[in-house]
Amino acid sequence: MKELWQIFSKGLIAENPIFILALSLCPALAVTTTVINGLTMGLTVTFVITTNNVVVSIVRKWVNPKVRVPVYITSIATIVTVAQLVLQAYFPVLYKAMGIYLALVVVFAIILARAEVFASKNGVLKSFLDGFGMGCGFTLAMLTIAVIRELFGAGTILGVPVFGEGYEPMLMMILPPGAFILIGYLVAACKTWNARQEEKARIAELKAGKEA
Amino acid sequence: MANEHSTFKIAFNLAAACFISGIVIGSVYFVTAPVAAQKAEEMKQESMKSLVPEAERFTEVAGHEGWFAAVKNGKTTAYIVPAESKGYGGKIKMLVAVSADDKVIDYSILEHNETPGLGDNAQKPAFRQQFAGKGASLLEVTKDPGNKDNIQAMTGATISSRAVTKGVREAVEAVAAYQAEGGAK
Repeated sequence: MKELWQIFSKGLIAENPIFILALSLCPALAVTTTVINGLTMGLTVTFVITTNNVVVSIVRKWVNPKVRVPVYITSIATIVTVAQLVLQAYFPVLYKAMGIYLALVVVFAIILARAEVFASKNGVLKSFLDGFGMGCGFTLAMLTIAVIRELFGAGTILGVPVFGEGYEPMLMMILPPGAFILIGYLVAACKTWNARQEEKARIAELKAGKEA
Repeated sequence: MANEHSTFKIAFNLAAACFISGIVIGSVYFVTAPVAAQKAEEMKQESMKSLVPEAERFTEVAGHEGWFAAVKNGKTTAYIVPAESKGYGGKIKMLVAVSADDKVIDYSILEHNETPGLGDNAQKPAFRQQFAGKGASLLEVTKDPGNKDNIQAMTGATISSRAVTKGVREAVEAVAAYQAEGGAK
């Protein structure tokens, strides 16, 4: 049980796709101007990465190792296309807001990386949790960036004004440079947090060693 | 082992993957395509309705692709025409509503790549409302804050302002030319 929890939770902060692995920074800059866009992109990626991990872990025994990457890409492309068709049919406004970045989910390094590193070597349940955890971490990161950018850049959260009439929006937060600077700070925060955790674990280990 | 990696097996493996993928996408498309088409039509009707709220229905204008005539009490009160113009970040696609006396009613931007927070303010009422009631001759961008007759440029987005204004002006001119020829009955 603890092992399963670890597989899931490592994607949240310890191996967060955006803040620690620094993958998929392009959409993190491009679609996080509003909370709803960031959330949609996060959920789409969660869906794609989880489904793809499950598919890959199911078919891994039948896939010829020489063509595994093309097969994984085919699988990812299929799932992304399905997500795209569904969004287009039921949420056309969000579909338009995502624009080209939705199709670009196919080539997100994080998705292929999880298939190759994890799902191709592990069972269905573990792969599912790994994909879901990574997806949640991605969504969490997108949400964090989007909330801060929308709050300062437009003075709203989910389109609802927060600061009242007198607030003059910080234009830079909506533009890509603002996102770069913000992501830099968030990466630093995550690294600090991780370093703290490691430090704690080391001290705990030393103490345990002494007592023994 | 050599047999394991034979070209045939590899090719078969890939073909099978693509075949399954095709079936999955095909069946999803079969379900979603009609819904998507219906939604797109609804959105189009809605955006036209928001441009000319008093219209009872919209009929296509024969001979002009994408043109719609807004009909009220059996009479054409306005035209909704697509317009395109080159902005700061690429094409700006718009729908422009022009009244029967060749004045702008309103416009809506369908697609654009203008700078968020600067050029994309063209969608906001503050800039858009300047166009209402203006004929083609007044549709010029000005940077003089005292000039109330023309279109005030958006701060930091002169190119976007000019592009939108140009697109709207061309739409008005097209409708004027069309009406001069006799217009819709």
